[in-house]
Amino acid sequence: MKFVDRNPIGPDGRKRRVLVAMSGGVDSSVAAALLIEQGYDVVGITMQVWDYSSCDIEEGNGTCCSSLDVDDARAVADRFAFPFYVANCEAKFKAAVIDPFIAGYLEGKTPLPCVNCNTFLKFDHLITRMKELDCDFLATGHYAKIEPGPDGRPMIVTSDDSWKDQTYFLFTIDPTVVPRLMFPIGHLNKDRVREIAEEKNLLIARKKDSTGICFVGNQGYANFIEGHVGKAQLPGGFIRRHPSGEILAEHNGIHGFTYGQRKGLGIAMRADRSESEAPLFVLKIDPQSRDVWVGDESYLFSDRVTVKDVRLLGKIEDGERLKVKIRYAHKGAFARVFSSPGQVDIQFEEPVRAVTPGQAAVFYRDSQLVGGGWIP
Amino acid sequence: MTNLTQSPTILNSGVRVYLDHNATTPPDAGVLSRVLTWAQDWGNPSSIHQAGRGPKARLRESREFVAKMIGASPLEIIFTAGGSESNSAAVRGALSALRHKGDLRRHILTSTIEHPSLRRAFESLAKSGYEIELVPVDRSGRIKVSDVESRLRLNETVLVSFMLANNETGVIQDVKEITRIAKAAGALVHTDAVQALGKIPVNLRDLDVDYASFAGHKFYSLKGTGVLYARRGAPLEALISGGGQERGRRGGTENTLAIASLGYMCSRANELEMRAEKMRELRDHFESRVCAEISEASITCHESPRLPSTSSLLLPGIDGETLLMSLDMDGFAASTGAACSAGSPEPSPVLLAMGLSRDEAQCSLRVGLGWSTSLEEIDSFVEVLKKIVLRLRALRGWQDSSSGTNSEQVIQKSVGVLL
Repeated sequence: MKFVDRNPIGPDGRKRRVLVAMSGGVDSSVAAALLIEQGYDVVGITMQVWDYSSCDIEEGNGTCCSSLDVDDARAVADRFAFPFYVANCEAKFKAAVIDPFIAGYLEGKTPLPCVNCNTFLKFDHLITRMKELDCDFLATGHYAKIEPGPDGRPMIVTSDDSWKDQTYFLFTIDPTVVPRLMFPIGHLNKDRVREIAEEKNLLIARKKDSTGICFVGNQGYANFIEGHVGKAQLPGGFIRRHPSGEILAEHNGIHGFTYGQRKGLGIAMRADRSESEAPLFVLKIDPQSRDVWVGDESYLFSDRVTVKDVRLLGKIEDGERLKVKIRYAHKGAFARVFSSPGQVDIQFEEPVRAVTPGQAAVFYRDSQLVGGGWIP
Repeated sequence: MTNLTQSPTILNSGVRVYLDHNATTPPDAGVLSRVLTWAQDWGNPSSIHQAGRGPKARLRESREFVAKMIGASPLEIIFTAGGSESNSAAVRGALSALRHKGDLRRHILTSTIEHPSLRRAFESLAKSGYEIELVPVDRSGRIKVSDVESRLRLNETVLVSFMLANNETGVIQDVKEITRIAKAAGALVHTDAVQALGKIPVNLRDLDVDYASFAGHKFYSLKGTGVLYARRGAPLEALISGGGQERGRRGGTENTLAIASLGYMCSRANELEMRAEKMRELRDHFESRVCAEISEASITCHESPRLPSTSSLLLPGIDGETLLMSLDMDGFAASTGAACSAGSPEPSPVLLAMGLSRDEAQCSLRVGLGWSTSLEEIDSFVEVLKKIVLRLRALRGWQDSSSGTNSEQVIQKSVGVLL
């Protein structure tokens, strides 16, 4: 995509136009407000991903896809009098995000739906919309930054708020669209973002952070999956001890487990387990036999993993030492990465805990997001 | 916290050309200039004291104007809150009245292109034991009388409901003939005439239906009022019970302000013919320009009798949703189909029901002209539409199927012709 400088006024004297993906939350609202302040022409858009008439999500349940959130986004647009639209993405969201999310749990994985949403909706559907609506840039409220790279081309780097940094979810972005992206709040921390919202009198200033998965809400993902596929389609199985294979308990479906999980296994209170015995952790979920293997935490550590469907934002050298995050909350571990067609082999310097199928391993060169791949 | 004086700079002035009169119409200037006068008649029309007399008079006067315009008696006019309420009240009210009289008929005939307020009402009636049969509609947009006739069941069909004019295609249905055969089979007849009011003459005596629905805001009046026509003697139980208003057929204190505006508009029924003729000329001009100047543009239901004010287009190679957003940013208001409260349209269920593919329905545009629409507006709309369609097609790499050229070449071609 053509490189465009980031001056709010283009060479033709016209204001540059930015399409802002607005969820109705504080971050994207402040992003829009800052762009207005900087002198851009702003167009707001909210992706409607859910048929609100068919669900009974209540206000303030900590998700960012309720009908009331659309109203919140609209209120910000009204406040600054910029155009605002709702794009109907229900079918696409179901096919690209919800269905793979459910399928992932049925395959014993711990899916990462936010990446699919970014891949197929925010940075695909909305990029198309950006071009169609004659906008120069697409902005989102992600905690991430765009900075010029060594070759002068814009690259994605981690947010200044390292605790909120969301670059982990952005590794599938097509590198050719990066020159057209803006992350207006990436240089701020969450407290400052809230302050700005207060200063600008945005009603959403004190709104709760969205946590968890937007379409799941308070019911918990296990209930969500049961509601969608039906309990009958989710047969139970055994919890077995590794390596002996001893059956410790029965469970109500593998979708209730994730790698490294300790609590809620339903075996902690057994009379024949003494207090002093080491706690048990989920080590492996076998979708074929529906066995959930548990055992000592030491078995959870591994020093290598091969990831698939790799997406790279920049070149990596074979054997390069990069920092790798294996889940959003992981602080990152150094590793050597070796790429071969379609996959990357990651060899960690120190073993990492609970490499989880369905999650992504994301590579960083210092603060630069370099790419990532899916843990099979 | 934001206070109300700071918020919204609402975008009323943002729309320069309004071509979505099927969604709603702007209140007529005559309505706006009288609103304060009407509002001063604030009393309750049911009151015995002086304060009730003004609003009571307005109500009576409005009822007479409405009745006269649609060929009914004032006694047959029930004011409601709008078209959806009238639809629901008609079918539910008629059926429950019959049920309570011991009528055992449960078969209902309606079409696949009715307004959601009827579709939903019938879905809920289906759950309480009614058999709802849908008469299919083809790409002509016309409900075939023979398709109704073959489905009517003597002593079983209790109600038929077919709209007079479709909100999306503007196609006018042969309600008179449908009514004749339905009555011969002993069924009651309802018609949703919301889109027809003010655009074509509506004479209920002539149509001979038992029930008809209307909405004030589609006819330059204020929102929040509608009319349910119930022929004298037609069975009807009130959907909303209350203090005996509307002769016990619709409870609740009347929305006298909005009713006065509808009555006022109906008092101007003599202007309709002239207004319709003007809209038809502009609509035809619009359609011929679009078909001549935008390659592969086509008019839905072109061959069928249509409202003079409605044009439903297919513009292959564009996404209707994006087109609407782009038009809006340029100050033009149109739609892809029925207005949806979330502001995010699905492909039109009406077009899908008529057998159009999802892709076709996705590239549709509905243009609804109104009394104030001018030639200048139509011409500037065509220019903007051409510009946006070409840009969107170029972005999608759309190929003109007849010539195999893409739209950028089409631009050059048309420039060539102009030179």
